[in-house]
Amino acid sequence: MKKAMKNTGSYGDRKRRRDNLAAYAFLAPALVSFILFIGIPVIVAGVLSFFDYNLINPPTFIGLKNIKKMLADRGLRQAFANTFKFLLILCPIHCGLGMVLAFLVYRAGRFQYFFRSAIYFPTIVTTASVAIAWGYLFSTDTGAINYFVRLLGGSNIPWLTNRVVVYVTIALFSFWKFIGTTFLYYYIGLQNIPTGYYEAAEIDGANVFQCFRHITLPLLSPTIFFVLITNVVNVFQIFDEPYLLTNGGPGSATKTIALEIYQTAFQDMNIGYGGTISFALFLIILVITVLQYVGQNKWVVYDYE
Amino acid sequence: MLAPFAWIISTSLRLSRDSFALPPAFFPTSFHIENYREVFRVFPFGMVLFNSLKIAVIVVLANTVISTMAGYAFARIDFKGKDVVFLILLSGMMIPAQAKLIPTYIVMSRMGLVGTHASLILPAIISPLNIFFVRQYMKTIPASYEDAAYIDGAGRFTIYATIFVPMSRSVIIMTSLLTFLASWNDFINPLIFISKYDRMTLPLGIKTLSGAMGTGSVSVVLAGVTMSLVVPLTLYLFGQKYILQSAVMSGLKA
Repeated sequence: MKKAMKNTGSYGDRKRRRDNLAAYAFLAPALVSFILFIGIPVIVAGVLSFFDYNLINPPTFIGLKNIKKMLADRGLRQAFANTFKFLLILCPIHCGLGMVLAFLVYRAGRFQYFFRSAIYFPTIVTTASVAIAWGYLFSTDTGAINYFVRLLGGSNIPWLTNRVVVYVTIALFSFWKFIGTTFLYYYIGLQNIPTGYYEAAEIDGANVFQCFRHITLPLLSPTIFFVLITNVVNVFQIFDEPYLLTNGGPGSATKTIALEIYQTAFQDMNIGYGGTISFALFLIILVITVLQYVGQNKWVVYDYE
Repeated sequence: MLAPFAWIISTSLRLSRDSFALPPAFFPTSFHIENYREVFRVFPFGMVLFNSLKIAVIVVLANTVISTMAGYAFARIDFKGKDVVFLILLSGMMIPAQAKLIPTYIVMSRMGLVGTHASLILPAIISPLNIFFVRQYMKTIPASYEDAAYIDGAGRFTIYATIFVPMSRSVIIMTSLLTFLASWNDFINPLIFISKYDRMTLPLGIKTLSGAMGTGSVSVVLAGVTMSLVVPLTLYLFGQKYILQSAVMSGLKA
């Protein structure tokens, strides 16, 4: 008995060894590029926080100086505050309006396909290209948008030059460009809700609002959760929109963390300090993601069969 | 949602001095094709177009080979450390792009690649999300297909290349589309890695063009913008089904 097992064991061993070898041969390209372009960069980012580095001179160890500098950096604090403003404005738009749009299109019947395509299309075009075009549209004196504002009896709106209005401008652009992303997730989420629930509720005499509150919302909660996480992570890294539309301005009114990182590292050539900020950004996003995962048990419904 | 596109195209066909003429046009009122010729004259636009295409195609090919090989291993082979390796790879998805920017720049400058197209291509060839998509798909392929091939004496690589890759066509088209668009639309990486005009990709090229033109020739800039939209539009028309499918699959991940 023992001997027989040993024999099959040795055959199994050989097969297992061959399988291991084959698997790692298949994985080799992925693992090598993962280590080079994801693994090493992340480790470098962490280590770099303790060094002064400008790419030209060898890095010098400065201990906690970068971190102390970061805590006292008023420009950075402004960038954090601005990024939080974007979070407060953009997340409700994408997570909230995206759901409303999906709900409307889902019930639109015949034109669903057209609406869906039109809403989603801007998300796949080049952000830089359309942001530049929108920059012309938003121009105070010559832009097409202010033309319509004047037509309706208003006066020119300083879309890109007023510290407060500029947030509306970026929110409008962000809505137009990216609402399709969250819209599509919600739309698919809605399609996955069995219609039987609605039919049963209708028989019981529930109205549209009650259906939405007691069927759609809980059954959509895994989608809402997913959208919320990805959206918060994305807005935290917002770069293209402020860089292309306002370059962080007017003044530093729309300078975000990502813009600050870019300017610190590649315009002031302070790579070490820029790396510290980007590592801090990474840790913050990680903490938020973990908190959202921990909090999800309170309101996300996964099992409704 | 579509009005801005109508305005972009219509204005790109106006005379430069009329680009801000009011009322704004949403349908072409004139056809000044010379704006398009002008883009190529004032800027190495042809080269920039070619760069974008070249980089996106190489990225898609390399990424597809890497993702399908790794996806196959995770889906169909039992091996030591499978779960751990998979988890480590997936954790790569959690790392925000902005946080990788500076360290990637340092790695590239160590390799002497800053300013080259390799600095844009190499970091894009590995995508944990694509590996995940391929794995999910390949797991659903029935074992009978590979068993038959084993009996015929085929090796692992033959089975991967002649059975699993062709059968995973739809997921490969999907990841290829997403990877192509991500490369085509990428702005921040070219911004930090590329400074020479003739090495730029489209988004950076158009930004540079608009900076150089100021507000003088909006129509010419918009002609460039219009051309940059042709490729995403074409892919959208032909691949909408696959793009929708990707949203379904990444929703499942959560």
